[in-house]
Amino acid sequence: MARARRGARASRAGAIPYLYLAPAIALFCFFVAVPIGYTVYLSLRRAKFSGLGLGKGSRKEIFVGLDNYRAAISDGEFWASWVRVLGYAIGVLVLMLGLALVFALLLDSATVRFGRFSRIAIFLPYAVPAVVATLLWGFLYLPSLSPIHDLLEAVGITGVDLLGPGTVVFSMANIAIWGGTGFNMLVLYTQLRSISRDYYEAARIDGASEWAIALRIKVPMLVPAIVLTTVFSIIATIQVFSEPVTLRPITNALSSTWSPLMKVYRDAFVTGDLYSAAATSIVIAVISLIPSLGFLRLVRRRAFGEDV
Amino acid sequence: MRKQRPIGWLPTSLLLLGAFYCLLPVIWVLTAATKSRAELFTSQAFTPGTGLFGNLSDLSAYRDGIFWNWMANTALYAGGGALLATVVSSVAGYALAKYQFPGRGLIFTTLIGGILVPSVVLAVPQYLLLAKLGLADTYWAVLLPSILSPYSIYLARIYASAAIPDALLEAGRIDGASETRLLRVVAFPMMGPGMVTIFLFQFVAIWNNFLLPYIMLADDGKFPLTVGLYTLLVTGANQPALYNLVITGALLSIIPLIALFLTMQRYWRTDLSGGSVKS
Amino acid sequence: MRTKRLTIVMSALLVGALAAGCTSGEGEATPQETGPVDLTFWTWAPNMDKIAEVWNQAHPNIHVTVSKQAGGDESAAKFLTAAKAGNAPDLMQAEYQMLPSFVAAEAVADIKADVSAIKGEFSDGIWGLVTLGTDAVYGVPQDSGPMMLYYRTDLFTQYGVTVPKTWDEYAAAARAVHAKDKSVYLGGFSSKDPGWFAGLSQQAGGQWWSIAGDAWKVGINDTATKKVANYWGGLANEGVVDTQAQWTPEWNAALNDGKLLSWASAVWAPGVLSSNAPNGKGKWAIAPLPQWSASEQFSGFWGGSSIAVAAGSKHRKAAAEFTAWLNTDAKALDLLIKEAAVYPAAKKGQSLLTQAPDYFSNQSDFWKVATTVSSTARGFTFGPNVNVAYSAYKDAFDKAVQSKSSFTDALTTVHETTVADMKKSGFKLAS
Repeated sequence: MARARRGARASRAGAIPYLYLAPAIALFCFFVAVPIGYTVYLSLRRAKFSGLGLGKGSRKEIFVGLDNYRAAISDGEFWASWVRVLGYAIGVLVLMLGLALVFALLLDSATVRFGRFSRIAIFLPYAVPAVVATLLWGFLYLPSLSPIHDLLEAVGITGVDLLGPGTVVFSMANIAIWGGTGFNMLVLYTQLRSISRDYYEAARIDGASEWAIALRIKVPMLVPAIVLTTVFSIIATIQVFSEPVTLRPITNALSSTWSPLMKVYRDAFVTGDLYSAAATSIVIAVISLIPSLGFLRLVRRRAFGEDV
Repeated sequence: MRKQRPIGWLPTSLLLLGAFYCLLPVIWVLTAATKSRAELFTSQAFTPGTGLFGNLSDLSAYRDGIFWNWMANTALYAGGGALLATVVSSVAGYALAKYQFPGRGLIFTTLIGGILVPSVVLAVPQYLLLAKLGLADTYWAVLLPSILSPYSIYLARIYASAAIPDALLEAGRIDGASETRLLRVVAFPMMGPGMVTIFLFQFVAIWNNFLLPYIMLADDGKFPLTVGLYTLLVTGANQPALYNLVITGALLSIIPLIALFLTMQRYWRTDLSGGSVKS
Repeated sequence: MRTKRLTIVMSALLVGALAAGCTSGEGEATPQETGPVDLTFWTWAPNMDKIAEVWNQAHPNIHVTVSKQAGGDESAAKFLTAAKAGNAPDLMQAEYQMLPSFVAAEAVADIKADVSAIKGEFSDGIWGLVTLGTDAVYGVPQDSGPMMLYYRTDLFTQYGVTVPKTWDEYAAAARAVHAKDKSVYLGGFSSKDPGWFAGLSQQAGGQWWSIAGDAWKVGINDTATKKVANYWGGLANEGVVDTQAQWTPEWNAALNDGKLLSWASAVWAPGVLSSNAPNGKGKWAIAPLPQWSASEQFSGFWGGSSIAVAAGSKHRKAAAEFTAWLNTDAKALDLLIKEAAVYPAAKKGQSLLTQAPDYFSNQSDFWKVATTVSSTARGFTFGPNVNVAYSAYKDAFDKAVQSKSSFTDALTTVHETTVADMKKSGFKLAS
């Protein structure tokens, strides 16, 4: 009896990890895989009208092959949006992750005061929904109401339009950095706290300064976490759309296709062209898939020591 | 016992500068919420106004207090969704971290790959799919998709590998503990602090989610705060935006999260591997 | 064991039969509309729930539940997506310009049989917006937005400006005001409001879409509209009209602080002004829009919406009954005016408007002027892809304002984008 049970358990153990993963996989299939499949299906189709398109039956959904893809790829504005977003992403990533790292190290430093307060304060923007964040920064960017303008004028800079064609990118990046630094800081800080204090004590006994400890011990041990936050931040930044979409009403300097995903948003949520939106989505996914997969391989090797 | 170190003024002031930068807009919301309609567009940005109680009662009176409905809905979506997401992600992360099985790499890459697909792309197909099942415009329409969180699975895997020593699992197996018992008795308690973090991240993510509930929900009684506030801001053609209500609502919507940060402090600070591994 | 299984099978069958019975029963009941029906109604008009409550009290058999939605560009797409999924509400607030695309997507129902009796309640021009010039009726008009010039009486005196009768006078006044104070403008050009520009083009006689037989004719860059674009382009590039994005807090502040002396807007503007420029109470007045020639008297429409019945509604007749009541019943119209701040499209609704809005307490003939203006508004036909044209307008004119480039070129871009989209979708175009 006992043997039989053990034998049964041994064979079940083989299925156990799959069982544990089943809910996640099921959800993934239903909410990611099937919708992607449906997106592919939509991307091959198009609504076709006849005549005025007003009478009954004048609208048909037809199969158009790769037409939508052809249209998406041949749109020069689409490629220009990639260039814009790449420039924006590089700036945001360097600043946001740089700040996150600095703040995490400062918080972990033994000589800092007000750490608890600062940690919560810096993390706080993470709690502010994008809709509210943009409304709030929108108020702060507008000249007649803005303390930023008062500040600039106090130091002798006047007439800066924070929402002009040359500046709106920075204003937007500021919102992203403001909102994202705290989250990344916390991930890094969580990682830092898990490093045994003994390392630092040993280094201190050897006479290392706090800076040296930070640079020589902490940063190298943070590498897996830095890689992790970088990868996720790259993906999030490339997907930028809620900041420009919500800033658009208050500036004349952002087009409805400023970023690749904005085009998807415009087609799906403004002009109601689900088919073009689907094709553009797939093109974006394919473009971002290649570097992302590369990064994931890198991460799996660095963060989990897996051979892939 | 630790030796009190001298205060590092430079790092402290750098940190406070960062804190100030992050707090500034939040302070603005706080002061703006105290302004009456006339004051909002005329008085200096950081001068408090006189309209806080007027704004609060206007907000509470708006559509018979629907704002508090939105608040309760958001708590339900974020609380329920994050709880389920934490369980699902932790179990998945534990399996990925502590078992060797065929397809592990593929499953992991695929699940994490989900993060590459932006919600704008998925929102409409997800809606059409849930509508087919008759679930559109129900609480489930927002809850169910929120349970899957690639980021949480990722974190869970990291936490599981860091917090649970293989030796302990092996010892448990030798003692004849079943795999599910190991999960309950060994894995969950040890991943506990990490699970709280996952819960909090996912809670905030759902709290702030806009697009999914926007497309899924039609009945404004089921709206979460983000979508509800949006209806006050984008009030429709030829209607004035209800700025005072939006700003006051925004302030109120941030307060629970601040409370959560403050009360959960203990958990944010908990060592991920240290404490549990040593005990 | 066997009996147990049998019981399960039996009860399963029974449940199935019951379920089937229920659905088929419901199916039969539909044409009769005997039992109480529940209607959902998407709208962004304020306090519509209170008005629906009045209906619900009087009509125990038809219960209307209002779901207040966000407005904006996305609202139409949300409705279309819901319709595609078979999840549309029974009743939907549909802006006139969006109605043709709803019809093309077969998302709204033809309710001619139920509402043709109330045709006489509306002017022909307004009724045309819900028939689209066809035999069908796709909604009941709720409100309209005849355009007028709102101006600050006190500041006009202060800057020595008389109310401009023609656009030439308006241009001269714009130059004069801005020359006196660089931070002050007579008015603004809005690259964010295609509906505003469409209204001004209507006034000039523009016809962006028209139907020629079984084909669409697109005239976004027709002579009249070009004239309007060119006019505003000149003023904008000269820098004598305000080109900042409108509907922003900054713009509200400008209206509030007297940095903007006038606003070419529509009849619904009092709600916006009183809410976002409270300081100006009692200082604003209205006049007809400046004209293109002193001998003319025309206006256009900006905004306005109808209440449509979704094609997927199971209670089409009940829904049509409600929308007819809402927009033609005297009591309902009175509520629309008082609760929802709506300028009713129905003729008799306009006669209910006697007392000037509180904000315009200084102008006792407010509604008289408005009614006169309303009767001079020119008709307009909207095409099936207005959302594409409007989106293109924002992009093209944002850019033109920003780079101070030609407005007529921007207009051509809007025209071409619109035509290309219609071609791609297969609409027949008159050459």
